[in-house]
Amino acid sequence: MTIDINILDHSVLASLQGRLDTAASTQFATDMQPLLDHADKPIVLDCSALEFISSSGLRLFLTLRKASLAHGGKVTVRNLNPEIKQVFTITGFTTLFEFED
Amino acid sequence: MPYELDFHCQMILDEYRDLLPVYEIMRDVVVDRLHCVLEENNISVTGLESRIKTEASLAGKLELKGHKYASITDLTDIVGVRVIAFYNEDVDKISAMAENLFEVDWGNSVDKRKMHDLDSFGYNSLHYICKIPKSLYFNPQKPEVNEIRFELQMRTTLQHMWASMYHDTGYKSGVEVPIEHLRTLNRLAGMLELADDEFGRIRTTINDYRRQVNALVASGNFNDVKLDGDSFKSYLNLRPFDKLNQRIAAINQAEIQPASAMPYLAIFRKMGFKTLGDIELCLKNHSEGAYQLAVHQLGLTDLDIISSTLALQNLCIVHILQNGGGTPGLKWLLDTLYSPSDSNLVMAQQIFDQASKLSFMSKTQSR
Repeated sequence: MTIDINILDHSVLASLQGRLDTAASTQFATDMQPLLDHADKPIVLDCSALEFISSSGLRLFLTLRKASLAHGGKVTVRNLNPEIKQVFTITGFTTLFEFED
Repeated sequence: MPYELDFHCQMILDEYRDLLPVYEIMRDVVVDRLHCVLEENNISVTGLESRIKTEASLAGKLELKGHKYASITDLTDIVGVRVIAFYNEDVDKISAMAENLFEVDWGNSVDKRKMHDLDSFGYNSLHYICKIPKSLYFNPQKPEVNEIRFELQMRTTLQHMWASMYHDTGYKSGVEVPIEHLRTLNRLAGMLELADDEFGRIRTTINDYRRQVNALVASGNFNDVKLDGDSFKSYLNLRPFDKLNQRIAAINQAEIQPASAMPYLAIFRKMGFKTLGDIELCLKNHSEGAYQLAVHQLGLTDLDIISSTLALQNLCIVHILQNGGGTPGLKWLLDTLYSPSDSNLVMAQQIFDQASKLSFMSKTQSR
């Protein structure tokens, strides 16, 4: 599981790649720290190369959302593949984030 | 700075210079106390302004009518504070608070809102001349803080706007303004007075409506309550979807993540729901189907976190399917929840296929 973070002037873009399962979550929580540090900017998570997400992964997404909301910002989830979109749908996570294709 | 002042006026100006630190304390005390009481009483204002009259402005006043004042303490507007409220009723409340906070010099205070004849309109504002009581602030080194008077102006935003325009265009401009323009300004004052009354009436009407809605929701007369932002919010306070969410969460012993249900207001409206009774009926008729769907979708996964909007989402899915909305209806729902996308059609088909195997669909298979 890798995350590539680009801090831009007016937003932060993070590209996620691989499987965000329970085993990968601990490392991901550390790797996403720059996103939390820049939570005052809108955060965009590009998930086009994300292959899997577990409950632990969803909780990390929520951590980002909480930090962003605390600064009046938002988290946009972009390019979910059908399998991961199904996870977001069956858990009702559809209204917690902005979504883009 | 050279002013054309006689000896008496020059003495007053010297007094002013000596008292500047006292004026600053007075201004800070008054503004601070007003801030506190406004906050304590939940009164929003559009402005809380303060100023200490400048030396140049005072000198100008003394040049014109310095003989009227025996000493600097006869000038009651060296420290001026202005509260600009949204509504006339709030101006009255703020004045009551000021009466409690400060010692009001009633002989010199004036309610300019009540000074107009029946057929005249113009400057509207409530002006109090006050002193700071020792109970509010006392420093033996600065007894003048409790002796010098200050001016407190209270008015509505529209009254303030009119006064500012009048000040800018006519009064104090140094040029005599043609009478027809002054007449127009006064006509505008009349119009703004009406607007102030109307804003107050609208606020009262809205608050009455909210109280009625809350009472109807609390009494359970949902069919009588039109579905709108206020009524939906009141309804959500009853936590009507908790039971279904808890039942769904129990499938995987999942944690329920709180989320706002307000996005579903627009969805319910687009589904044709007119009253809270329609939502209640949906909850009554479709809870079992919504639960069955969740068992089918979540039961084969180890996902142990759900959003508190999952119950609403599944209720909408079942409602759409039971009313013959089929895959296009589900795609519409997904397009609304996510952004519109072709991939939502694939998911809509998946949900339709999953739901087709469930008992609640047995009556709607043929649609």
